[in-house]
Amino acid sequence: MFEITVAFANALASLAGFTDLALAEINGDFATGLAALGVGIAALGAGVAEGGIGAAAVGAIAEDEDFFGVGLLFTVLPETLVILALVVIFIV
Amino acid sequence: MGRDASNYAYVNARVRSRWAALLDEEDYRTLMRMGPAEIARFLEESEYQTEIDELASRHTGVDLVEYALNRNLAKHCEDLLSWAEGRMDDLLTRYLRKFDAWNVKTALRGVYSETDAATIETDFIRAGELDERTLAQLGEVNDVGEAVDVLADTIFGEPLAAAYGDFEESGSLVPLENATDRAFYEHLLKGLGAATDSGTREFVKFLQAEIDFRNVRNAFRLARSGADLDPAEYYIEGGRLFSASELNSLVGQRDELITRLRDSSYGDELDAALEEIEVEGGSLIAFEHALDAALLSYSDHLSHIFPLSVCPALAYVLAKEREVDNIRAIARGREVGLSEEEIEEELVIL
Repeated sequence: MFEITVAFANALASLAGFTDLALAEINGDFATGLAALGVGIAALGAGVAEGGIGAAAVGAIAEDEDFFGVGLLFTVLPETLVILALVVIFIV
Repeated sequence: MGRDASNYAYVNARVRSRWAALLDEEDYRTLMRMGPAEIARFLEESEYQTEIDELASRHTGVDLVEYALNRNLAKHCEDLLSWAEGRMDDLLTRYLRKFDAWNVKTALRGVYSETDAATIETDFIRAGELDERTLAQLGEVNDVGEAVDVLADTIFGEPLAAAYGDFEESGSLVPLENATDRAFYEHLLKGLGAATDSGTREFVKFLQAEIDFRNVRNAFRLARSGADLDPAEYYIEGGRLFSASELNSLVGQRDELITRLRDSSYGDELDAALEEIEVEGGSLIAFEHALDAALLSYSDHLSHIFPLSVCPALAYVLAKEREVDNIRAIARGREVGLSEEEIEEELVIL
């Protein structure tokens, strides 16, 4: 939720504080703010996914420690979602 | 996935891992060539190590194997309960009362045949809800009536008390055992009737299958025995396949019963079993084993469709029970000198 709040604050601050800036520039800031919001939502999604996978991975590791490596890998797989969302920041 | 506190992912990951540790066909073949002492040694190097070590000082041979198997089964069930949370815990507790029913029946048979308390107690599988104290009391009672009194406060109390008159009249344990089974199945689905949340729906589906299969078995047993028993006495409510009256009429007509089963939703699973019984005079034992295998494969199927539900855990309990039964059959069979082929007929292998 933190990311979402920050993104919103960013967008609002840029709208309120810099009204004398050129219209194009305001539009640019607004877009960045929305992109940041997107990253936040993506992170939220990754968190939900990792919750289940993490629980299953811990269960599997409890039965067999050899599973540690694979379990870790599977747990962080949804994290790629956040990385991809981060890319959007640079292309807006 | 419901928003309750159930931790399906965690429990099922552990269950799957233990599933992989179950013996396979190859292991059974190795076991079939061994004597009782060798079987104990084989088990000592497997999953059953702790139990064999604990019991080896007091028991030997087939008894050692059997007690170790029971204790191991109880351990796994306790583990399941200790992992599960929320709704899943509740559903598993309901299902594991099946071992209470087993214990009650063991106690009744033991008391009836005047077995001593120690022997009865070693035969209990401590995986259900009945506590140590009740079980100890059950082992020590002197006659069947006292055993029924001990159970008065449990779910078995009322049905047993009701069936006690029949027992006194006929002197046979069948009415009491039947009452125990029915008490268990009635409580399983009680209060779950309007199952709306998804976790419960799958639980109901699983149990309907188990009840259906039990009804099928009873129907064929009644049809075979030819005795003039009332099928409704043995009918268990809650299945999907038959209603009580339908079963009543089908018991008399074997061929129609078979066609009916073939067309049911269990048709694929039951195919092998029905082939066993279809030929006139086919072996009922072989049919029942095929029925067990079919239930096992159906439960496996359900646990693949609903990985995030209570099904994998229930299917594991079933599979583990089958394994315990198989090993026991092998050990007992070897003890009395049955051939490999004869033992193999007694096994339920998927």
